[in-house]
Amino acid sequence: MTKIINSVTLDIVKDSLIAIGNEVFYSFARTSMSPIIYETLDYACGIADSDGHLLTQGNGACGFIGLISPMIQAVIDKFGKENIKPGDVYMINDPYMGGGSHLSDIGMMMPVFYNGEIIAFLGNKAHWSDVGGMAAGSFTTDSTEVFQEGLRFSGVKLMDSGEICQPIVDMIKSNVRFPVAAEGDMWGQIASLRTGSKRIIELCEKYEAGTVRESMRRLLDQGEIVARKRLSECANGTWEMEEYMDDDGYGNPVLIKVKVTITDDEFIADYSGSSPQVVSPINTGYTSLCAGAKIVYMSIIDPELVINDGVFRPLRVITEPGSILECNAPAPTSCYFESMLYAADVLWKAMAPVFPEYLGAGHMLSVCAVVLAGNHQDTGVPFLIVEPTGGGWGASAAKDGEVGQFCVGDGETYNVPVEMAETRYGIMIDEYSLHTDGAGCGRFRGGSGSVRKYRAMSDNQSFTASFGRNKYPAWGTAGGKDGSYNYFEIFRADGTHEGPMGITARAVLNTNDVVNMVTCTGGGYGDPLKRDVNRVASDVRNGYITLAQAKKDYGVDVDPVTFEAVRKEEN
Amino acid sequence: MRIATDIGGTFTDLVSIDENNGCMVNQKSHTTPPNFEHGVLDVIKKSELSPKSIDTFIHGTTTIINALTERKGGKTGLITTKGFRDVLEIARCNRPDLFNLVFHKPEPFIPRYLRQEVAGRMTYKGKEAEPLNIEDINAAVTYFKEQEVESIGICYINSYANDEHEHKTAEIIRSLWPEVFITTSSTVTREWREFERTSTVALNSYVMPTASSYLNNLSEKLEGIGFKGKSYIMQSNGGTTTFDQAKQAPVNMVESGPVAGVYGAAILGQIIGEDNLIAFDVGGTTAKCSLVDNGEVKVTTEYRIERTDSYAGYPIMSPVVDIVEIGNGGGSIAWIDEAGSLRVGPESAGALPGPVAYGIGGTKPTTTDACLLTGCLSADNFDNLVDLDAVKDAVVKNVGEPLGLNANEAAMGIIRVAESNMYNALKLISIRRGYDPREFTMVAFGGGGPMHCASLARELNIKKIVVPVAASVFAAWGMLMTDLRHDYIRTHISPLAEAPVKEINDIWQGMQEQAEKQFSDEGIPVAQMICQYYVDMRYIGQEHTVKVSVPTVPLKEEDKEVIKQRFHEAHEQAYTFRLPNSGVEIVNYHFVGNGGLTRPKLQKISPQTSDTEDAKISVRPVCFNESGWLDTPVYNRSKLGSGAKFSGPVVIEEKSSSTVIYPGQNVNVDQYGNLIITEEAE
Repeated sequence: MTKIINSVTLDIVKDSLIAIGNEVFYSFARTSMSPIIYETLDYACGIADSDGHLLTQGNGACGFIGLISPMIQAVIDKFGKENIKPGDVYMINDPYMGGGSHLSDIGMMMPVFYNGEIIAFLGNKAHWSDVGGMAAGSFTTDSTEVFQEGLRFSGVKLMDSGEICQPIVDMIKSNVRFPVAAEGDMWGQIASLRTGSKRIIELCEKYEAGTVRESMRRLLDQGEIVARKRLSECANGTWEMEEYMDDDGYGNPVLIKVKVTITDDEFIADYSGSSPQVVSPINTGYTSLCAGAKIVYMSIIDPELVINDGVFRPLRVITEPGSILECNAPAPTSCYFESMLYAADVLWKAMAPVFPEYLGAGHMLSVCAVVLAGNHQDTGVPFLIVEPTGGGWGASAAKDGEVGQFCVGDGETYNVPVEMAETRYGIMIDEYSLHTDGAGCGRFRGGSGSVRKYRAMSDNQSFTASFGRNKYPAWGTAGGKDGSYNYFEIFRADGTHEGPMGITARAVLNTNDVVNMVTCTGGGYGDPLKRDVNRVASDVRNGYITLAQAKKDYGVDVDPVTFEAVRKEEN
Repeated sequence: MRIATDIGGTFTDLVSIDENNGCMVNQKSHTTPPNFEHGVLDVIKKSELSPKSIDTFIHGTTTIINALTERKGGKTGLITTKGFRDVLEIARCNRPDLFNLVFHKPEPFIPRYLRQEVAGRMTYKGKEAEPLNIEDINAAVTYFKEQEVESIGICYINSYANDEHEHKTAEIIRSLWPEVFITTSSTVTREWREFERTSTVALNSYVMPTASSYLNNLSEKLEGIGFKGKSYIMQSNGGTTTFDQAKQAPVNMVESGPVAGVYGAAILGQIIGEDNLIAFDVGGTTAKCSLVDNGEVKVTTEYRIERTDSYAGYPIMSPVVDIVEIGNGGGSIAWIDEAGSLRVGPESAGALPGPVAYGIGGTKPTTTDACLLTGCLSADNFDNLVDLDAVKDAVVKNVGEPLGLNANEAAMGIIRVAESNMYNALKLISIRRGYDPREFTMVAFGGGGPMHCASLARELNIKKIVVPVAASVFAAWGMLMTDLRHDYIRTHISPLAEAPVKEINDIWQGMQEQAEKQFSDEGIPVAQMICQYYVDMRYIGQEHTVKVSVPTVPLKEEDKEVIKQRFHEAHEQAYTFRLPNSGVEIVNYHFVGNGGLTRPKLQKISPQTSDTEDAKISVRPVCFNESGWLDTPVYNRSKLGSGAKFSGPVVIEEKSSSTVIYPGQNVNVDQYGNLIITEEAE
């Protein structure tokens, strides 16, 4: 009898740990003051064991995958476990340390003590609307050093044995543009850590610390078992892929390169040979690069697995310090997600032919991040939009690509409804529709991107955007054609026009200037001439492609009235 | 005579009550897809009730949710503001299946070529920025006629703030095409968020033809057998409406059946004097729980059909009773995952092939099978002859062998994992929302609720459990007790401190008038209507809101302070903290109108006079968590009178259910025949 109680009890405790992870995740979103957190869910919460190994992570955005444990480890390394006391909270956002991304993502971690011993660590990381620096919203496209990007915390004690370090809070509030939101989110993050800590202690009280520790070990081991099992079923081999990502912001090409090796028990992504770090803020630190690789790794291993460090044991990510994928201080990293997502994309492209059941053609890739600051036309209250833009995804072996979705680095991320945006921000939205350019043709068609038009309703608004994939289209695969590019353009009230372009910093918009943001159609999969004739007819009827495209790209004549379709015989 | 008929996946249930003498009748017959009304007539016939004697007919149906999930609605067109026809297809851009890079996004119910745009624009303040383009409407109608659509939905940007353009559009369409079904978004909801509202309209328009023909058929058939009373249909908000209103807003009926049990729990609570309840319903495939706070059933507008952990689903913005449902019921299958852990559900053996114990082809072990092996259920209480060896083999082969356990250990493991899943769901609706289960009474029903309630209540420190009479058909009983209910929700954002009281009262007044009209259309005198007022509020800067009840309407300036205090309290309860110095604002106004109908009285049972030994079926070994195997007396519930008392361990059996009471717990039968389980005083 004892034995079953053990194995079943361990599973029950394990499930409870996962449930705690979910609870702290959702409780934080609901109390946040920042739209980027509560709508975009640009944050993550995780639980780690007493050595800092990630046990479970609640994710809103994939880009945060696996960033929690390196952050915890960085704090342990800096302070020493023996100096960490109950009730301490540490703050960390250093891009060059463990768990770093860009300064806007504030990490916090806290130890959980039970009977005088550390039983676990809790960590979370959230995108604050503003952390100071040269531009509203802190992240910008023209910074050249990290010092322009806001406050940098290289592992700083924020709470000492349960007491808040007020000088740090005062310093933060004096140096950010939205101090109320910043303080609100700071307390939200602390509250979520405390809730998690309380739950873990409850779990120890109910099942005893030994059982909880044993369950933690089981969780990590099981993750590893499944991952290695899956790897052993994969074909072994080495694959290489390289691609240019747009440019460094000054017209110079930037190369991203990967060599993937799969053995029976390892998955190695070696990014050696990628370009050195650049002066524009598209560099990434090492742990964010790993996050990019982990997304693709997870999609192959098992998308439904609980995220923990056991699952990642077989994964190795190699790069060179000083490269764009492992930059050194003080390289700017505001838009680190551009190189991180390109790194994910080359890995994806390298693996797509190997795992067609898990990986389709290329997608919109970029976050297509928009920062818009100004004053509301009716209330005069300052507003700040920090948001991603949805675009087209690639087709795959069994289906067409999805339309108007956020990029792979996002996830359970929500767009801001038009009706809320018009209430809260000084804009009217003239259009939110699909970008039906008919690109990405194939046996399965790439999904359409989107068109979003913001009309400024007050003067002196400041528009910043980073739309990567503005030079090289979303790639097709298995004979499918390429999709299109992301861009935006500005239609001035006086009738002049600027763009299309992919990057801008603090462009001024005045009343009735309209910025038109357009995202790409994803890549196609398979030979377009093999696309089902009825699907082509339906594409035309629904306006995803034109009659001319049906004829030229798919070899199908469609009747514009009856939508009857016939494929021309191949000559 | 009042009767309720509830169409379920397998059975159509009937419960009736004679208001004169409190006499109740239960009956079941098979559900008859696709002509569900036949099953209703069958069950009435089988019950031998005279249709002429039925004054009130209350109906719960899965017709609407079935038409949606099986995509069997009518051909539907959508009219949107120019520039926004793709809102329905783009949705919210979210991807719950985070790491699946070949995920499926929900496909819109209305394809792109049937979505037409009309110029005309309102601002967020409800001011007209561009007049409505009549030409565009005419063109859309012509096109939809060519396409032979049956139903048209209309949803314009910012119509929650001003619905004039929608009304005008509907009027024009009606004049050009009187036969077509029409839904405007503002008649279904006036909350903001255009995607969710458009989705609600799309789904409503899509099922309107189905709802209409179903309800018309049913009415005709009922009249055909001589029924002359009033008929009502159960809505997802826990109240009823007339057939005529239901045809206009069928989307309000998606959760028609499941919510009745929660409502029933609230009513039972009133009768026995309990305000704070946790309704716990375990059926064949799922377990559902919901919280009744201070006598009120909680509703939400964040409902989505077909939503799972990995699929975004389709939002319906109408009020639905807040239920947490998990894939763990009596038929849930136990299995070993890839990493070697025992799991139960969400896959269910359903009615076919069913648990191994049913002997109709099931080979995979289920929770029901495990309960047989641990003695919680008796093979004698099944309709069929149970092959216990087959049950044992299935448990050993699928669970025992992989884990190195014998049959009984494996069975106990299955029950523990299933109960752990239920425990997490119960925590989700209580502790996680800031409620302390110790202050709640559990009402356990459905076939499986009475079996698991005692162990779960103990884990949660719940002090009292009620297992109602006829626990397995309790949802239909709840339906019998329902009242007419309509919800009106309107988004209008204003900081509480600065909002003029007159503006607030005008909004309430407008909703009140709308309700009065709707109720008088349903034949309810205005004076009889019972009104409740709520506001959804938040701290300025936050997004998510908390619902707060409003003390009196019309509101006076000093009432604002009361509302503010209630909000701080509710926020702290839900989210563990308050921000006393932060400004607060109203986001939504929520008005609830109830019909004020009188409820039938419950019949009392006769007192226990004879020795309870007469009701004893047997003594059998039952395996309990922690205590292990104990010889346990088993009683027949139908032979127990009020006042009968036992101490655990004890099992009380009834048709299609069995209540398990743990050592250290007491049970007594109350005057209505409910089983009341309490922890022995410590």
